[in-house]
Amino acid sequence: MKDFISEFSNHAIDAIRTLPSAEIAKALVILQATYERGGRIYVCGNGGSLALATHFVADLNKTVFSNHLEKKLQRFQAIRLPSTESELTAWANDVGYDMVFAGPLKNYIQEGDTLIAISSSGNSQNIIKAVELAHEYNVPIIGMSGFDGGVLNRLADAKILVETPLGEYEVVESVHAVILHMMVKYFKNYFNFLADNGHIV
Amino acid sequence: MRISFVGGGTDLSSFYTKEKGCVLSATIDKYVYVTIKHGPQIRGINVRYSESESVQNVRELKNDRVREALLASGINNNIEISIFSDFPGKTGLGSSSSFSVALMKGLRLLRGDTVDARTVAEDACMLEIGVLKEPIGKQDQYAAAIGGFNILTFNPDHSVVVEHLLLDFRKSIGLEKHALLFFTGITRDARDILSEQQKNTESKFSTLSQMVSMAEPFRTELLAGNFKRLGEMLHEGWELKRTLASGVSTSTIDALYAAGQGAGAWGGKVLGAGGGGCILFLAPLESHEAIRNAMKGAAKKHNLGWFNEVPFQFVQSGVEALMHKQ
Repeated sequence: MKDFISEFSNHAIDAIRTLPSAEIAKALVILQATYERGGRIYVCGNGGSLALATHFVADLNKTVFSNHLEKKLQRFQAIRLPSTESELTAWANDVGYDMVFAGPLKNYIQEGDTLIAISSSGNSQNIIKAVELAHEYNVPIIGMSGFDGGVLNRLADAKILVETPLGEYEVVESVHAVILHMMVKYFKNYFNFLADNGHIV
Repeated sequence: MRISFVGGGTDLSSFYTKEKGCVLSATIDKYVYVTIKHGPQIRGINVRYSESESVQNVRELKNDRVREALLASGINNNIEISIFSDFPGKTGLGSSSSFSVALMKGLRLLRGDTVDARTVAEDACMLEIGVLKEPIGKQDQYAAAIGGFNILTFNPDHSVVVEHLLLDFRKSIGLEKHALLFFTGITRDARDILSEQQKNTESKFSTLSQMVSMAEPFRTELLAGNFKRLGEMLHEGWELKRTLASGVSTSTIDALYAAGQGAGAWGGKVLGAGGGGCILFLAPLESHEAIRNAMKGAAKKHNLGWFNEVPFQFVQSGVEALMHKQ
């Protein structure tokens, strides 16, 4: 048991040690620019990645502003795709599973927004459809992938790849959670810094 | 609009076709807004800026940028274009290219094209340099289209390499806090100075090469947040730049600059082509009040009625469509 635990921990530690920091920095700049222009941030993923997307949306919309909830301050506009189960099942049932993200995304998408697509394999059809739609609208794409990055890593503007052997979902999803929390922490620090320096009253 | 820190002038083709040019600049929260309406309810061609033009034929337009942009787009009737700006033109913040970028972007959207920032920058360069033969460089179009802190490299084959600087908020806000931006109250036509600069390129080649070589160390100090050193480098760059053409500095500009330096600034520069426009200083926080007072005094002495301090923030976002109805 001990060996298994240390083996898994070491895989996770290795992945964290080799995070693509320049690409994460690029993603932070994209998010900052989106915030400045009042654009929306769409987040999507399948299964565990959908859970990560939901968690991140809550953090970006609320946790980031935890110390300033009473203040008059523009907030992030992050939206998990799709935002209702009804849309998810309607698109899956009526049109096809590959449209569950791109379909609802089309209701909102405008130039100036940003898409965060989370897919460990980087090859999920429904994720790629959403990425292609974003590309059509000239919307920057933050791609969070694992394994060899797949199609998503190739198409993304910020290529956040957690490189692992194929099928290492647990490590990839865990490290994705770390990266998403890192982004949350960055913006939390940012708004705290603004408040400390009198930019937010 | 943008503030360029180092390398201004090396984006002119007379230089970069012989040796790579390099500029480091950042966009600020001063914008040029262009609205475009097109449809059968609008009669003729109407363009509103500091003047108001209504004509029947595109070729009759006096505003050369709008005229040539419309000719290139093929739209020849039923259009109204209005232009607003957060800050007056001819002040060294690159507003005229910001305008071209917004105009080209708007006309693209009208045709149903969604294009990336780089294409819009090249559209604007084509309009201003290719068609109108203005003696200007390419840095402003790229800065306005892409946004944020960038190192722009201008290659001899006319290609432009954009490196987006990934600056964290502490550095960017820190730079903002140490900066003071003043509008001298003097507006000037950059084209006169830049024409002379284009002609002087050969004799000033080594000075321009020196300016190119400042971009890399400037980046290093910027990422390190060494604002004092950045101020000193601005000063070194300004000392080089003012020798490029006779109109870059004037006795009034020299007096204003000396007032700021004398009151404790680490360094600064005149933005844009020079001859007027805005002056930027980097200075320790405790000197800011003294610099403000010294600058006000110097401006008064030189009867600069429009002199003013310009508060600003850096922004990461480039040209964008605020509203687009299909």
